[in-house]
Amino acid sequence: MRTHALLLGSAAIALFLGVAQSTLAEAHHSGAGFNSDKVIELTGTIKEFQFTNPHTWIQIIVEDAKGSKVEWSLEWGSPNSLGRQGIRPSTFPPGAKVSMRLRPMLNGAPAGAFVGAKFTDGTTVGRWE
Amino acid sequence: MRALPVVLAFAVWVAPGLCVAQSASATPRPSDTLPDWSGVWSMVGGTVFDRATQTGQGGATSVGVRSHPPYNAEWEAIYKSHLERRDKNLFPDTISNCGVPAGFPRHFNLPDPYEFVVRPEQVWVLTENGPNILRIYTDGRKHLDDQWATYTGDSVGHWEGDTLVFTTVALKGFRDKDVILDRTGLVLSDQSRATTRIRKIDPKTIQVEMTIEDPKALTKPWVVTKQFQKMPAGTRVYDYGCAENNRNPADVETGKTLILGPDGKPLNK
Repeated sequence: MRTHALLLGSAAIALFLGVAQSTLAEAHHSGAGFNSDKVIELTGTIKEFQFTNPHTWIQIIVEDAKGSKVEWSLEWGSPNSLGRQGIRPSTFPPGAKVSMRLRPMLNGAPAGAFVGAKFTDGTTVGRWE
Repeated sequence: MRALPVVLAFAVWVAPGLCVAQSASATPRPSDTLPDWSGVWSMVGGTVFDRATQTGQGGATSVGVRSHPPYNAEWEAIYKSHLERRDKNLFPDTISNCGVPAGFPRHFNLPDPYEFVVRPEQVWVLTENGPNILRIYTDGRKHLDDQWATYTGDSVGHWEGDTLVFTTVALKGFRDKDVILDRTGLVLSDQSRATTRIRKIDPKTIQVEMTIEDPKALTKPWVVTKQFQKMPAGTRVYDYGCAENNRNPADVETGKTLILGPDGKPLNK
């Protein structure tokens, strides 16, 4: 059973998302560089979940319209804060197919601030309503 | 001339008594008389002192209670210049350098858990973020006359009932351009010092009230109150290790906060 599945149905999900998001915004830097007014959706395959300080990063391989594979970097909260809320390194296992919502970089580079994720079995992580 | 031996004799007689008296007053309070601040705590509210500076910037969009230092004109201008650079993403948070202490009073303005460790001879305020340690000596020692300035300064204090009262001196402030109070670029000078009162105002809330004086930067004392709420029992505190995988370093040439791609190269140079 994947760890994130344990989070399903929990009324705390929305709460921890709010906390995690504020952690990203408040902690290390301003978050400048990401478009706070826009959310985009990508579908791809998890390459790596960098469960490291000061912030976690989800690396996902996405195939673009021309069939080229592009690696996207999604920044999330601190591993400590997320860990206290049930997130684990195994939450995003390498090879898993997943759709991601993110606030993209202003300059169009393949990176953004993580908003939420939905796996093919319907389980979700983060904000996905 | 005759008086001198008398004076010396008096001094010899009295001096040990004075030493004893000083020593007695400096005796740390027994641990079973000290307040219980055990557990893990988190700061209430955001990490920006003056929320009014945040509108449309830095993630927050609402104007809150204005807690702006009473700057004189010179330091207000310095702060405004920082805000202008912040708005252009050209004023990096100094803790992005990974390894620089948050310093005082920013020690009480951080995200992530806090621990207040009360011991008879010292109180330690530990922060996961950083990590940072604030040591407050309560064993009766005084500040050194020749204390050199540091990020966190030197703190000595005493107990007034269940309230810890301490003074903090020998702060670098913005002298070396590497200490800010929050990521808006709020600063104090190397003449800043503070008197702080910490007490538990209810079983789940610790309150820290700092009265900050700074004859170089402020026109009057600046009183800042921060509250810390008890986190659920059993909450763990972890390594912070900012240098582990910092993909948001500051560009040393421009001050711009970078976003690094998986190959370590900036995506927003």
